[in-house]
Amino acid sequence: MSNGLMGMTPTSEYERQIKSPGGIYQNATGSSPTIAQGLNMTPTTTAPVFQMTPPESAYSTGYSPQEQASLLGTIPVAEESRGLLSGLSGGGGVSNLLGAGAGALLAQQAYRRLGNIGDRAMTGAEEIAQLGLEQTQFRPFTVTSATGGMFGVDPQGGTTMTLSPEEQALQSSLLGGAGQFFGQAQMPTAEREAAIYDRMRATMSPEEERQRLALEERLASQGRLGVRTAQYGGAPEQFAMAQAQEEARNRAMLGAMQQAQTEQAQQAALGQQFLGSGYIPQGQLIAATQPAMTTAQIQQRGQLEGAGLFGEARMSGLEALLSSGIGQANLFGQIGSGLLSQSLQPVLQPQSSSIEDLIKQYGIGKVQELLGLGG
Amino acid sequence: MSQELKSINLIAPAFRGVNTEDSPIAQDPSFADVADNAVIDKRGRIAARKGFEVITTSATPLGSNPITVIHEFEDGAGVTEVLSAGNNKIFKGTTALTDITPGSYTINDNNWKVVNFNNKAYFFQKNQEPVVYDGTSAVKLSTVSGAAGITGKYGNEVLSAFGRLWVAGVTNDTSTIYWSDLLIGHDFSGGTSGSINLDKVWPDGYDEVVALSAHNNLLIIFGRHSIVVYQGAEAPATMSLADTINGVGCVDRDTVQYTGTDVIFLSHTGLRSFGRVIQEKSMPITSLSKTVTKDIIALLQNETESFRSVYSPEESFYLITFVGQTTTYCFDTRGTLEDGSFRATRWPSSIFKAYERLQNGKVYIGTTHGISEYKGYTDNNAKYRFRYYSPSLTFGDPSRVKFLKKIKPTIIGGNTSSIFMKFAYDFNTAYRTTEFTTGNQLPAYFGINEFHGDDPGDESNPLSEFTAGKLTSQVSLNAAGGGTSIVVGLEADINGSELSLQEINILALIGKIL
Repeated sequence: MSNGLMGMTPTSEYERQIKSPGGIYQNATGSSPTIAQGLNMTPTTTAPVFQMTPPESAYSTGYSPQEQASLLGTIPVAEESRGLLSGLSGGGGVSNLLGAGAGALLAQQAYRRLGNIGDRAMTGAEEIAQLGLEQTQFRPFTVTSATGGMFGVDPQGGTTMTLSPEEQALQSSLLGGAGQFFGQAQMPTAEREAAIYDRMRATMSPEEERQRLALEERLASQGRLGVRTAQYGGAPEQFAMAQAQEEARNRAMLGAMQQAQTEQAQQAALGQQFLGSGYIPQGQLIAATQPAMTTAQIQQRGQLEGAGLFGEARMSGLEALLSSGIGQANLFGQIGSGLLSQSLQPVLQPQSSSIEDLIKQYGIGKVQELLGLGG
Repeated sequence: MSQELKSINLIAPAFRGVNTEDSPIAQDPSFADVADNAVIDKRGRIAARKGFEVITTSATPLGSNPITVIHEFEDGAGVTEVLSAGNNKIFKGTTALTDITPGSYTINDNNWKVVNFNNKAYFFQKNQEPVVYDGTSAVKLSTVSGAAGITGKYGNEVLSAFGRLWVAGVTNDTSTIYWSDLLIGHDFSGGTSGSINLDKVWPDGYDEVVALSAHNNLLIIFGRHSIVVYQGAEAPATMSLADTINGVGCVDRDTVQYTGTDVIFLSHTGLRSFGRVIQEKSMPITSLSKTVTKDIIALLQNETESFRSVYSPEESFYLITFVGQTTTYCFDTRGTLEDGSFRATRWPSSIFKAYERLQNGKVYIGTTHGISEYKGYTDNNAKYRFRYYSPSLTFGDPSRVKFLKKIKPTIIGGNTSSIFMKFAYDFNTAYRTTEFTTGNQLPAYFGINEFHGDDPGDESNPLSEFTAGKLTSQVSLNAAGGGTSIVVGLEADINGSELSLQEINILALIGKIL
């Protein structure tokens, strides 16, 4: 059954953690992501990737009733209101006066409560932000490749790559070879040209010697070894052979120059290849980290989403709390304004009727709670 | 009872020339043991050679020195001119020797080799800067406009062939042949000029170039001990070796003569010739002096000066003169003997220092008198002696003693010459001599004008021949003595008339066996 972790097979502990409220990605130790397996890598995380501190209650404002009461503030006039209301229940004009006083008092309470609610909302938002920062903080991790290379990320985001000894040796060899090839490519070609020319001449010389001997024998058989001409120097055949040999030498020289230049290019290309190959272990290590990076990104995304959800929930709770506070303040205000308006009516109506109306409307407990008369 | 005289007829004695190689006792009487100042005449008989008539009227530029080089120069227009050298000078002309030695050029030797090449005559000799004659004047080759590479090319041998000058015999570089640029005889360092060193070509490892020859489209290079032949010399850079001959070389560049179909040269083993290559690639060599090889070798070994030779198809001979030993051998080129050798005669006391056969067939001779022509029968109006001696004759029976009774020589020509008939027995050199005089060959005339000469061309004074004179002299000479072998000789002073020995008929009494 997919658990939404990109094919990673969570362990029971991991599953427990990830399924626990607010425990997403708390510990990935022992997990075996299938992608990493597919890449022939077994990235392991030796520490929780993104450890989040779960909120104590994701389904409330996060405040205990005492805190909520604190946030909403005690109503200093509760006792007064309780006495006032008690007194209201006793009689008529006094009752109206008392009702007016209570209404004013309640309006004042409502005003104060609204001011306190803003301050508490500010404080609550800052706490949520602080928690969000903590929850989205980067978690260091290390990736170990199948060949023994290690890729580590420290808490500051710095990375450290360590190749295995074999890879280190191979890299040293390749980079050393690259240095040699580049060094050879940078050397002047004259010496190499001479060496190539000498080798070519060494190859050509025996045949030239055979040809020379053959010509010598032919000239000897023709009695022409001693021929010297102004036109050719020696016999025409000797001239032709000398010319051919000189041309061959020239071609060999040019060929040696071209060969030296080709070899120079080859050295440079080999150096390039070696240089590139020298970085393959490192590249492969970096490549091996890509699945882990993806996993980390997924984890980070979950972490961020969790933090967002957490923030939103807290904000919702806070908003509900604030709404309830506002509602309470409004209620105070309405009660206060009702009491005040009734008390200022020219025809006094039995006071009790208004209170009675409130009691009828909200219940005695609620009215007592609003008025702070409850136990 | 008297015994019958046996007639032994020596017909055309010595018509095969001198033979000093075979045993004299068993020789064919057609050979001669001695044939001095003799040639084989047009009828195959042994005869007196011609003498020389001096052409030069004044040999003052020569001083007391001989003409050592004669060369006929022919320019592009076909005009010929005789060039010569002697007394460290170069001359042109024949009757008057005009000194054309380049100015400020001190010549130290007279052993020039002269060739015609591209309308010029080039003079080369060892260690002397070459000279070129353009038909007007002679200059040092290096002073010719465009001359290049002359230094170091002071060769002893030069050949004009294949459109180039070929030079060899440079001091300290005796194995190298240099060739000039095509048709430019004064450029030895540009164009298609070049050289070839034969150090690695000589078949016997080492030799030096003595002479060069072009024959049958081949370049023949004569070393002292070997010969190498190149083909394709039209393009010297690519010419290739065609043949090598080991053990036969040439002793001197001036012994090489072209006969048109062959090349004759003198080697250390006698006179040699290349046979014309017909089909086979090899170059057969034929010895031409087998009958006098030892004599030739002896002369070679003792020669300290120079050699001079000439080939004359008109006279049908090849003359080779050993200048230092004043001896000339004459080889008849009309044909060869069975063994392939030429018929040879000897011209002793030869003062000939240079030869040149002109295009008109005349043979010019260089002597201290200047330039002479091989003609007449006196040596500059001096008589010379013709000598013939047969080999030892046994008449087919060397065991029996012979008693000469009569000697009947038949002499052609002579014109009242004194003939000395000689004979000796058994290799004795003390010859018995009988002298006789040949007939007068001068014709007798009638109706001859007393005050006019014998000019037959003078139509106003016609001469009428009365008698042709006595051209043939046959005498019968008494002889005495006896022996198993007999040598018959004949000597005659040649003094203006030719003389040939037609035959000698000997009547002998054959005696007992010794």
